[in-house]
Formats: sequence, structure tokens, C-alpha cells
Amino acid sequence: MKYEIPIGPIHPALKEPIMLRFSLEGEEIVDVDVVASQNHRGIEWIGMNRNNPVQSIYLAERICGICNFCHPACLVLAVEEIADIEVPERAEYIRVIQGELERIHSHLLWAGVAAHELGFDTLLHYTWMIREKVMDILEVVNGNRVTKAIMMYGGVRRDIKEEDIPKIREMIDYYKKLFNKVAKLFLEDKTIKMRTREIGILQREDALKLAATGPTTRASGVKKDVRQDTPYFSYSDFDVKAITPDMITGETIGDTYDRIVVRLLEVKQSVEIIEKALDELPPGDIISEEKVAKILSKIKKAEGEAIGRHEAPRGEDIHYVKLKEGYENFYTWKVRAPTYSNIMSWMPMLMHHQIADIPIVAASIDPCLSCTNRVVVVKNGKEKILTGEDLHRLSVQKTRRLKK
Amino acid sequence: MNMEELMEMLKENGLEVRVQSKMVGVRKKIERKSLWVNVERDGLKKAVELLVENAEEFPHFCVASTSDIGDKVEVNYHFTINFGHQLEEIQITFRVTVPKSDLWVPTLTDIVPATVFSERELREMMGIEIEGLKDKRHLFLTKDFPDGVYPWRRDETGPKELNKLYEGWKE
Repeated sequence: MKYEIPIGPIHPALKEPIMLRFSLEGEEIVDVDVVASQNHRGIEWIGMNRNNPVQSIYLAERICGICNFCHPACLVLAVEEIADIEVPERAEYIRVIQGELERIHSHLLWAGVAAHELGFDTLLHYTWMIREKVMDILEVVNGNRVTKAIMMYGGVRRDIKEEDIPKIREMIDYYKKLFNKVAKLFLEDKTIKMRTREIGILQREDALKLAATGPTTRASGVKKDVRQDTPYFSYSDFDVKAITPDMITGETIGDTYDRIVVRLLEVKQSVEIIEKALDELPPGDIISEEKVAKILSKIKKAEGEAIGRHEAPRGEDIHYVKLKEGYENFYTWKVRAPTYSNIMSWMPMLMHHQIADIPIVAASIDPCLSCTNRVVVVKNGKEKILTGEDLHRLSVQKTRRLKK
Repeated sequence: MNMEELMEMLKENGLEVRVQSKMVGVRKKIERKSLWVNVERDGLKKAVELLVENAEEFPHFCVASTSDIGDKVEVNYHFTINFGHQLEEIQITFRVTVPKSDLWVPTLTDIVPATVFSERELREMMGIEIEGLKDKRHLFLTKDFPDGVYPWRRDETGPKELNKLYEGWKE
């Protein structure tokens, strides 16, 4: 007998609002449907109708809390190409360091979540403990752990101070020493191997056809990495090579285990990139034009279109921007976050697996489904939609009730 | 197929190619290029097929973007090919311009399966009919989103009453 089971929109295993409808025959998954429309914040609309281009950098930062450097990076790359804005050398290096710090914290965060999905909570707490090191460095460099507000057209907003460099180097040593231990914990543990080997396989062919990006596609053997293929910032100086699992396991299967391998190796790669960037950090300015009003007027006069691409921790992030002369907002702004493409790979990955494999396989692409402004409440079979305002009202009511 | 061969091939098929480039890098300077190709609506499928057949590996479909340009709508299909080798990757965009009075484009899902999300988005956000698309549900907007309102339009069908995005919004 075939029956349907919905997971989501809000479900403890997924943590973010998305709905998966599974058709099952016994324990076996025979069909998967993704219902993504659980939320829409209209961010592109705001960038196209309300915000000026500088305000939109900060809005882009809020597309995703974890990738809060990636989205502004893409946006800035696209606008700089259209308006022909110069970027000082030092800023290009600082951007690389920021991008790689973000990759380290994101991959470690993911590793913890993956361990948790498998029920291995000791490893979750251990991974998140070592993640604190990079979070501390983000705070040292930016003054903030999340939403760092570092990007600006023509450079970055904060320099890396001389006295902070030894602290970053200490972090590099810390992770270099720990790498073998973490790799052993994740890759040699019997339970993890049993739960992830041959589970959630994405064939190379499917990865290409479904436009998977980032570690998801690299774990299937596609050597695709924007830092390698079309370098931006100062990535051309680092000779980045796309990482595939065969580098340490000798073979590429494309399963969940391979996706763990790729992410672990990428943490190591990021640490090495940061070390090299610190060694070669050029002196000089960090921004080509400090006055925001001047930048804005230059962008207002510019006309054209461009695509900004950045290798985010989850995959290739793309922003398309079209500017029209005399038009204050972006004429068009299209954001493609990596999960937009990667979600499609869930279908071949989850087919013919068991319900118990859903959390780890779903988590293995490192989904990032940005926030919600409405929820659907189903009661007695009738759907009721609550908007952000309703939720806010309910929240205020509860606070008042508790205060009594 | 390198960039020259691709441009030659597109020219043979009567397509005009615009190259946009920017110098990037600090110590090792490189030129980052992107190709922009205008195609007719009837020639879109053929152009994408040409790319699929001739590229070394299956082309990576990035996303489709769209702009409301008055009485017409532009649809851009962004692809990358030749990834995997440094500086050999080619970023190519096919652009179709269609009048609002006859607003449809053919589906590409039969050639590139990954276009399904973008096509569903084009449909709900810009009101472009996708001929041949099987899955016509909304992607990001809720299923009760009013018909005839398209968030990315810049004409009277744009979301006027929905402008109240946050408390304290002023017209």
C-alpha cells in the first residue's frame, strides 16, 4: 500500500521552513516532492523598489545568516563590474580571508548538524566547541560574529589590524593540529560510516543535469569551484583546486559520506588559503572611495548588467544585477542561492531509502532555506495561514499574559 | 570547445555574441569574460540544444532572470560550461525578449531538467507563460497569492496593495 507522509513545513529534523511530501511503500521512499513556498520575504523586490544600492548590501547580508558574507560579495562583484569601480589590492585579500573564515565556520556548523542528525550528540558538541575558535576570530576581525557588514562597493569597511594577525595565526595552528583528529572522528567511526556510506547517492550525471553546486556536486566527482574556474577577488593568486572525495578515499561514490569528506578537506584548504593570504597581505588602502554619496551617484549614473559569482560554503552563489541610468534602485536583481539548485538533488538522493535516512540525507546538501514570514496551521483538515503580523500579535499577547 | 570555437559556432547559427570583460586579480591578473547572446523565442531551444550537444560536459544551468522593460519582457538564461579547468570556464547568457501582449516562452525542462524551478518562478513572479511546463504550481509564493499580480512587474500588475511590507510603511 502506498501512503503519503509530509515532513515540514516546520520539522525538528529540518529546522528551516520547507515541506517534503514523501510517497512510501512500507519503509521505502518511492516519490519525493519538495514544496518550497513556505515563505517568501520579497528581498529582490525590496532591492528593486525600496532600497538604494548601498542599503541593499546590508539587505543581501540578511538573506542568510550563515552566508552573510557570500551574498553581499556576489552583489558587490556584479555592481563593481557594471559601474567599473576599482578595488584596492589589500581589500581583495581581506575579502578572500573573510570568505574563507566563513567557509570554515559554516562547514564546522554543518559537521555538527550532521552528527546530530545521526544521533551522535557528543560529536555535535565537540565540533561546535572547536567552531568557537573561528567565531572568536570573526569577532576580533569584524567586531561581530554574524552579519559582519564588511563589504562595500570598492573595497571593505574594516582593515585587519597588525595586532590581530597573531590571533588569526594562532587559529590557523589550532585547526592544523586538530585536523587529523576531526578527520578520524568523522571518517573512521563505524556508526557514521554505516549511516552514510552508500546512502543518498547522487550520480555524476544527475549532479550535472540537476545543476547541483558546491560540495554536493564535488562529492559526485564534478570538479566545479568558482574559485578555480573563474577566479575573482584575489583568488587567482592562490591556485585553488576543486576538492573531490577521491583525493583521500581513492574513489568517488557521491554518497553522504563523500560529502562529509569534501567538506572536511575544504576546511583544511580554507585554513591554508588564509595562511597564504596573511603572508602576502599587501599594504595600502582598503577602499577606493570612502564617501558613500559619491559611490551612490556613480552607481546611479551607471548602466548595464552583470553577474556576480562567489563560491559560498554551500556552492556557487549567483546574483544578476541590471542597472539603468537615473534609476535609484536596482532595475533587476536576481539572487540564486546555492540551495535553490541543490534542493533538486534531494529527489534522486532520497529515492528508495528509508524514512530514518531522511534527516541525514536532507542535511547532507547543507540546506539553507532562509526565514519565514508566514506559517500554515492545519486544524481539523482546514488550512489557516498566519502572517508575520499575526505571529507578532500572538507573541505580544503571550508576553502580556506571562507578565500578569 | 574553447571560447573562440563557441563564438564561431554561435555566429554560424546566425547569433550575435557580445563579450563583456573585466580585469581581476592582484598579483596574477586575469580577464574575466562573459558572453551575452540575443536569441529569438523560436530559436531558444535550438540554441540551448547546441550548447548541450557541443559542450564537453552537460552545461551548468545557473538561473533565469527577467526584467520588465516597458511593453516587453526580457528573459535571461544563465549557463556556465567548461568548468573544472582554471580560466577555461565560459559564462554564457541567452536572452529572449518577448512582447507583453504575447507573453510566453517555451520550456527548457526537456533539455535541461534543472530549469524547472526557474521556470516556475518566471511564471509566478513575472507572469510569463511557460509553454510545455508540466509542473505549474507556485514555487515561492503561497498558493493563495492573488492571480494577475506579478511582484517583479513594473506596470499596473505589480503588487500595489501588497506594498505594506512592514509596520510603519509610508507610500
